[in-house]
Amino acid sequence: MDFVELEAIEGLRWSWNSWPVSQADVKALVIPLSIMYTPLMHFNELPLLSYDPVICNRCGAVLNPYARVDYQSRIWICPFCYQKNSFPRSYAGIGENNLPAELFPTYSTVEYQLGKKASTPSSNSNLNHNWGNGLSSSSLSSMMSSSSSLVSSFSSSSLSGLDSRGVGPAFVFVVDACSPEEELRALQNELLLVVAQLPENALVGLVTFDSMVRVHDLGFAECSRVVVFHGERELSSLQIKQFLGIHHMKQQLGKPPAIQKQGFLLPVSECEFNLTTAIEDIHTSPLLMPGHRPQRSTGAAISAAVGLLEGCSVNTGSRIMVFTSGPATVGPGMIVDSDLGNAIRTHQDLISGHATYYRKSREFYKQLSPRLCDSSIVLDLFACSLDQVGAAELKTPVESSGGFMMLGESFESDQFRKCLRHIFNRDEDGNLKMYFDATIEIVTTKDVKICGALGPCVSLQKKNSSVSEKEIGEGGTNTWKLGMLTNKACIAFFFQVGDEQKAQPSSAFFIQFITRYRLGNMGIRKRVTTAARRWVGNHSTDIAAGFDQEAAASVMARLAIHEAERRYVRDVIRWLDKMLIRFASKFGDYVQEDPSSFRLSSHFSLYPQFMYYLRRSQFIDVFNSSPDETAFFRLMLNREGVVGSLIMIQPTLFQYSFDGPPIPVLLDVCSISPDVILLFDSYFYVVIHYGSKIAQWRKLGYDKDPNHESFRKLLEAPELDAEQLVAERVPVPKLVKCDQHSSQARFLLAKLNPSVTQNSTHTDGADIIFTDDVSLQVFIDHLQTLAVQA
Amino acid sequence: MAAPGGPRPGNTPPNYNPNSLADNMQNLLINRPAQPPHAVASSGGPRPSPPFGQQPPPFPSSAPPSSPFPGTSPMVRPGLPHPGVLPRASVPPGGPPQAPLPPNMSFNRSSGPPITQPPPPFGLRPPHPGSLPSSTGSPARPPSGAPPGAFPPSGPSGQVVAPSGSRPGPFASSPLLTGSPMPPSTISSPINNGPHAFASRPLQAGSHFPSTGSIPRPPVRPPPSTISMAGGPPHAPSMRSLYGSQSTSAPPGPVQPALPFSAAAQGVPPPRGSPFSAPPGPVQPIPPFSAAAQGVPPPSGSSPFSAPPQSASQPSGSPYGPQTWPMQPRQVAPPPPPHPIPGSAQPPRMFGMPPPLPTESMAAISPAMSHMGAPMAGPSKIDPNQIPRPIPSSSVILHETRQGNQANPPPPATSDYIVRDTGNCSPRYLRCTINQIPCTVDLLTTSGMQLALLVQPLALPHPSEEPIEVVDFGESGPVRCSRCKGYINPFMKFIDQGRRFICNLCGFTDETPRDYHCNLGPDGRRRDADDRPELCRGTVEFVATKEYMVREPIPAVYFFLIDVSMNAIQIGATAAACSAINQVIADLPEGPRTMVGIATFDSTIHFYNPKRALQQPLMLIVPDVHDVYTPLQTDIIVPLSECRQHLELLLENIPTMFQNNKTADSAFGAAVKAAFLAMKSTGGKLLVFQSVLPSVGIGALSTRESEGRTNISSGEKEAHKLLQPADKTLKMMAVELAEYQVCVDVFITTQTYVDIASISVIPRTTGGQVYYYYPFSALTDPAKLYNDLRWNVTRPQGFEAVMRVRCSQGLQVQEYSGNFCKRIPTDVDLPAIDCDKTIMATLKHDDKLQDGSECAFQCALLYTTVYGQRRIRVSTLSLPCTTMLSGLFRSADLDTQFACFLKQAASEIPSSPLLQVREQVTNLCINILHSYRKFCATVSSSGQLILPEALKLLPLYTLALIKSSGLRTDGRIDDRSFWINYVSSLSTPLAIPLVYPRMMAIHDLNSKEMDESLITHAIPLSSEHVSDEGIYLLENGEDCLIYIGNSADPDIMRQLFGIALVDEIPTQFVLQLYDNPLSKKLNEVVNEIRRQRCSYLRLKLCKKGDPSGMLFFSYMVEDKTQSGLSYIEFLVYIHRQIQNKMS
Repeated sequence: MDFVELEAIEGLRWSWNSWPVSQADVKALVIPLSIMYTPLMHFNELPLLSYDPVICNRCGAVLNPYARVDYQSRIWICPFCYQKNSFPRSYAGIGENNLPAELFPTYSTVEYQLGKKASTPSSNSNLNHNWGNGLSSSSLSSMMSSSSSLVSSFSSSSLSGLDSRGVGPAFVFVVDACSPEEELRALQNELLLVVAQLPENALVGLVTFDSMVRVHDLGFAECSRVVVFHGERELSSLQIKQFLGIHHMKQQLGKPPAIQKQGFLLPVSECEFNLTTAIEDIHTSPLLMPGHRPQRSTGAAISAAVGLLEGCSVNTGSRIMVFTSGPATVGPGMIVDSDLGNAIRTHQDLISGHATYYRKSREFYKQLSPRLCDSSIVLDLFACSLDQVGAAELKTPVESSGGFMMLGESFESDQFRKCLRHIFNRDEDGNLKMYFDATIEIVTTKDVKICGALGPCVSLQKKNSSVSEKEIGEGGTNTWKLGMLTNKACIAFFFQVGDEQKAQPSSAFFIQFITRYRLGNMGIRKRVTTAARRWVGNHSTDIAAGFDQEAAASVMARLAIHEAERRYVRDVIRWLDKMLIRFASKFGDYVQEDPSSFRLSSHFSLYPQFMYYLRRSQFIDVFNSSPDETAFFRLMLNREGVVGSLIMIQPTLFQYSFDGPPIPVLLDVCSISPDVILLFDSYFYVVIHYGSKIAQWRKLGYDKDPNHESFRKLLEAPELDAEQLVAERVPVPKLVKCDQHSSQARFLLAKLNPSVTQNSTHTDGADIIFTDDVSLQVFIDHLQTLAVQA
Repeated sequence: MAAPGGPRPGNTPPNYNPNSLADNMQNLLINRPAQPPHAVASSGGPRPSPPFGQQPPPFPSSAPPSSPFPGTSPMVRPGLPHPGVLPRASVPPGGPPQAPLPPNMSFNRSSGPPITQPPPPFGLRPPHPGSLPSSTGSPARPPSGAPPGAFPPSGPSGQVVAPSGSRPGPFASSPLLTGSPMPPSTISSPINNGPHAFASRPLQAGSHFPSTGSIPRPPVRPPPSTISMAGGPPHAPSMRSLYGSQSTSAPPGPVQPALPFSAAAQGVPPPRGSPFSAPPGPVQPIPPFSAAAQGVPPPSGSSPFSAPPQSASQPSGSPYGPQTWPMQPRQVAPPPPPHPIPGSAQPPRMFGMPPPLPTESMAAISPAMSHMGAPMAGPSKIDPNQIPRPIPSSSVILHETRQGNQANPPPPATSDYIVRDTGNCSPRYLRCTINQIPCTVDLLTTSGMQLALLVQPLALPHPSEEPIEVVDFGESGPVRCSRCKGYINPFMKFIDQGRRFICNLCGFTDETPRDYHCNLGPDGRRRDADDRPELCRGTVEFVATKEYMVREPIPAVYFFLIDVSMNAIQIGATAAACSAINQVIADLPEGPRTMVGIATFDSTIHFYNPKRALQQPLMLIVPDVHDVYTPLQTDIIVPLSECRQHLELLLENIPTMFQNNKTADSAFGAAVKAAFLAMKSTGGKLLVFQSVLPSVGIGALSTRESEGRTNISSGEKEAHKLLQPADKTLKMMAVELAEYQVCVDVFITTQTYVDIASISVIPRTTGGQVYYYYPFSALTDPAKLYNDLRWNVTRPQGFEAVMRVRCSQGLQVQEYSGNFCKRIPTDVDLPAIDCDKTIMATLKHDDKLQDGSECAFQCALLYTTVYGQRRIRVSTLSLPCTTMLSGLFRSADLDTQFACFLKQAASEIPSSPLLQVREQVTNLCINILHSYRKFCATVSSSGQLILPEALKLLPLYTLALIKSSGLRTDGRIDDRSFWINYVSSLSTPLAIPLVYPRMMAIHDLNSKEMDESLITHAIPLSSEHVSDEGIYLLENGEDCLIYIGNSADPDIMRQLFGIALVDEIPTQFVLQLYDNPLSKKLNEVVNEIRRQRCSYLRLKLCKKGDPSGMLFFSYMVEDKTQSGLSYIEFLVYIHRQIQNKMS
């Protein structure tokens, strides 16, 4: 079966679809056992069950089609741990012809709607409590407390001063008041638009900052009231709460906890006027020192916003949306000092250790991550600036909380507007299309061990017998927290097989993903995906057949950037090469020491090419990027699904010509031709490249000539396609239209395989790329040489 | 009074506003009584009044005694009681007495006035200033402006031409007026007064006025009062002797007589203009007047002046010149000498008894006392009415700082005087405890007195005084001694054809800068000396050059900080503060350089950006009260012109915004710190309104009072510790504030303990002050709060000041004390200085001074005016040195000495047990008196208590001090802290009323004919003088108690307070104006007192039998109390102590 089709059913892409039984064999595969899981993938057919799931008493797995069911005694046997469980009373009517959806073999994925006392398929319903209790009783670390509040937090109580009933998600806008006037104006307009469209029950807060951080009180009628924090001070969460007056008093015996009225976070319905006034009132702070950057205390502002949300105990999902147009220049998290004489750090500085504030700042932001996670807060960064703003430092909390990052040039740009509006899209029911406060739990067959995950998630450090000692990424747990999920967000999970392998080849093993999340309307859902694969023997051909090159490339890319965050880039490249060579040696067909004999089967043939482009990509080769851009690219790659990741790694190139419908062409400089239009998609930007002839024609206005209808259509086609590409992505890619030989054409040329360079001998008028980079061909040649060397 | 009020405004604009104050303030309380009488008397054919002047003293006091002492004063005081001048007036006795007493002189003048008198009423105040001459014309408003000018010139004219030149403008105008039109009519009574004063002085002085002067009443009051008053009396004594011998007295005598009557009448002066013709009758007077009148007005007239002078000279002139004491004496003296002085004088002195002989000194007290072991005995033998008591000096005294090239001892600080700067600075700016400087330390030590200067560099001038001249030396800056850096002054001696000059401070000889060179005249003075203020005036202001600026002059920054914690809101303090500020904004100096900021605080600090062009004000909260910051770099403090409306709106809203505030905590320290940060770049004034104990954040305090209470009851061992600051945090902060030129004033509006001892450290260190409203009442206190605040921002003041006092070789400043920051010992750093602040500089010898030489003191104050000019105000005082102990006693300045005592005692209180402080105070008094008794007294009857004339009230004031709230154990800690703090910057004129308040009857206001003086004579502070039928008003410059006797006439009560029964007395009292003469009068009286004290006064009604009554009676310092002796007993005690020492 095609991997893509399978993904459409399961939402999973496995690097290896058949797993060897022994650890040694797994190691020999070079590419780790991994699954790219898109938790909220959109399925055509997804049963939505309005009752709570039935859970195995021992391992916590949810009842699934692979369970053996004894209808007579109304018992089911957990496929993971073989525990016998009896069905709850509501399943009384169960029978071979009366199956609940979760037992339908075709439904590898089902979704439960929690907390609703609706009727079960069979009969009545009092289903809920088990699950919650089970989970919370099993929770261990204190870190877990907030997420184990799953149940409690929902029903609950924790919103200080607010009636939690009917309260929506919380949004705290953190606005940079140092932005230039026009920028600020544009931003204000967008924000006002957003506010106007927020659901009434959504909570909002506003924080503005320059050299000081101002938390706006939206519940104060007599005047505009703001609490000001000093931008240079690093405050603890407790201090912030105290300063805002929203800390919980120590509970005294017999007294209810003191609930204080606070006005910093209020439902839109209560504070819309104040909020809009406050937003309109934001003015650009005057620049005090010429020759200096504005004083921005971005770090302190974010920290204040976090404190605010912590204080209000909104742990049902909240976003801190930071809008900034420059680097932090004061206080915690500062990127650069305000003197313009000092440039913002570059990659070179990072490597040479000359980035004065980098480490400290990164550390500061890193420490925010667990706090964000505990309170289910998402941190978003909207940076619109021509220069860097410090995204590299900010990346950790943004990524781990599942937040959104956008690097744009201006708040007036379409790109920004589209992003923001996209985020606040609503579904048919009027609920925000945001999925907060998610956790993913994995249940596996005994011999499968969980190593970890790479992606926008945080390990909750919940260990059990299926957690491997070996950690990759966020490991040491079978449960992860995700502050925010989208339909596309994809996590790479890594597995290992157990030491003592008792499984028989060709027997099946199971992996179940239980994703619990909160809808925009605060309703809780639990999506359960159960997948089965087979163990195989060492040299089984199934191994090759089960190899998903695309998934493998995505996984390797994630591993590579994960490494790149910790090591020098050249080491990462060396590592990638080594892995590739080992891989080629393992799976290639060749005669020792004879490069020319080297062949790869079609199951593996694309993989080296992916690796070639990965090495050249902006993820690994940071030469032309700023640290901020790199951080952004990596962050995007780290959450994108297999298809998207591949586009990032190896962009697609389509050719539009009079000869017929668009066809994909090689990502090679040879594909450039004067009489074709190329549509290039690297995910982050889309280039429409007009061959020189086409450009000339267009310049002559032939497209407006009714006689050249076909030319007009030719011109239109790539544009329409490009628009489509652009529309689906967030952040919206940059769309570049350029003519051959124009300066903008560099966006395309930079990504093409330099098969023809200034050094090539035969240049028959075709484009060449000025570079010393090796071409794909050279690369493959070397690979072959090395691969066959034993 | 109304009039006075008026003037201020007019003058106000500039620094002058003082006028109002000046006018009133200066008047001696005592005087009033006298005046009124005059009025009455005068008006009538009473001319006889003249007698009053004279007589009064004698009679009242008991004629006998009074006469004896020239000073009469001593005795007089006693007499004062009667002061009701009238009475005296009526009494014929006057006749005789007059003659004897110099006072008469004044009276005489009055006589002239009589006629006019009636009119005077109107212009009361104005008159002084404008004083007669010009005034007449000017009376209307200008008084201050024109008049002042007039005088000066006139006075000086004789001698100094320069002045006139400068003034010209004003004079001219005024003169004219007077001359033709108004004069007569205008001459309101007030005028008269003024004039009198002048006239009198002049006369003596010998200047033109003389004539007029003689006539004027100044004498009148003085005479009687003289005695009493330090200034007058002292001299008098001396004078007499002198006079007697010299006969100088004679001249005056004659003149006076005539005048007396008229003068006595009232402000003779006024009349002058018109009166002249009439009065003229009085013989000499006439000429003088006319002369004076013309002369004055017509400033033109140097000539006129000259003329007058002559006349003047005739009168007293000659005598004075020669005489040593010329100065004061003259005025007063003249009269006395005439007759009997000596003889008469002494008699009076003897209060109690004896006819003491002591010529000069005088007050002797019944010796008997001494014997009587028990006080009891004493009393019996002592006639309470003869004990020395303050005698109100009545009329305005005209004081020339130097006469005949000799320093002229200043009039009493508490009297109403007008200064003509003739070389020495006005006593308002610099006063020395002794007006002769002992040549050696031994001499000083022997005397038991101390040598100190009270410096009040921006003191409010009398509206009639010439403004201080501003001298601009251009880029080179003022000429200074290159060694000691002393500033050029009239006492620097130019030698070598003016090419070099000798510094009078350090003796160094300097080259005269080339462009400042001028040849010397035959008298050895520079020819241009009279044209250059710095060479002929004791006080001048130099325009500071760049050298004197570390930065651009700072703008006038006012930052208001308001407590909005729960308590403050609930007691209405916040609303009161906001309202007061709102009104005061209009009074802030105009112009682009005036900046304002505002913040409120509870447990957090709320700043506001009042500048926004937005619909709503923006409140910025600083929550971190342990480590504060200012929330905006700009726009916290903005130019007033840009935010006036927003500010007003904001102030209106603040009380509402916080009306539901439940935060009880107050972060006072943090708020001050935060405001400071906002002001750091400029400095300026920070006005804090605080209502509760600071409980959180920087400098948080704990409630110490309860601990204190227990301590007190368990033996007051450590009780005084409660009067010390709780810790050093606020002190350190205060030093930082001072360093950045931020001056903090704290308005404490509270109903609880706030630990003023700790809080006050900030204002004290930064040159600010504490205002205390306890218990705060939302009904009665807002008006005072507003007025205090208004005065605070409108009074003459300066910023970013540095002050230093330099002394001639042989002396040096030992220590400064007052409200400022001590950083280096030689300089006084003042973030802000205003006209009310006084700094004490104690002096010490480091060498011997030469007998017969003069010793100079120079106070230089570098400051920035509210309009942003950098100025150096230099006041120079040159006093004679002496080797005679008697000289020291004769020239002792009681008011100043006592102010020093008071300040020293106050500073001692927090660090020593109370008993010890009291003992020290008493010992000081005893030592001085003992020294006098031992070395100077001419009488040796051991049974007599002999007091030096100049210091005869020392025992009374000492007793009052011991009983004052600062030295009592029963007071609240905060009250005592406030008292201590209040004293530290207290000016000399206010020092005495603080411990010895003024009490007067107000139930009979109507029955006393009102004349120019609104304030009736003071009643001794003894419950004997408080009757059940009466209603009394008692004021000490800060509080004003109105005591209603149990049997007070319901009708009067209704008229005054709108109530019929004593029981209806409201606990919170607001003085209202009812439509009846009595009420109007009371209001006028109260307003007059306010003006005099520069304080709005907290009014409180008291009645017998409840706490308010107890409070009232606690001010009866002459009474015997549980813990204290009665006045008589105290005298006995002192006497015995002295005797013990003698033996």
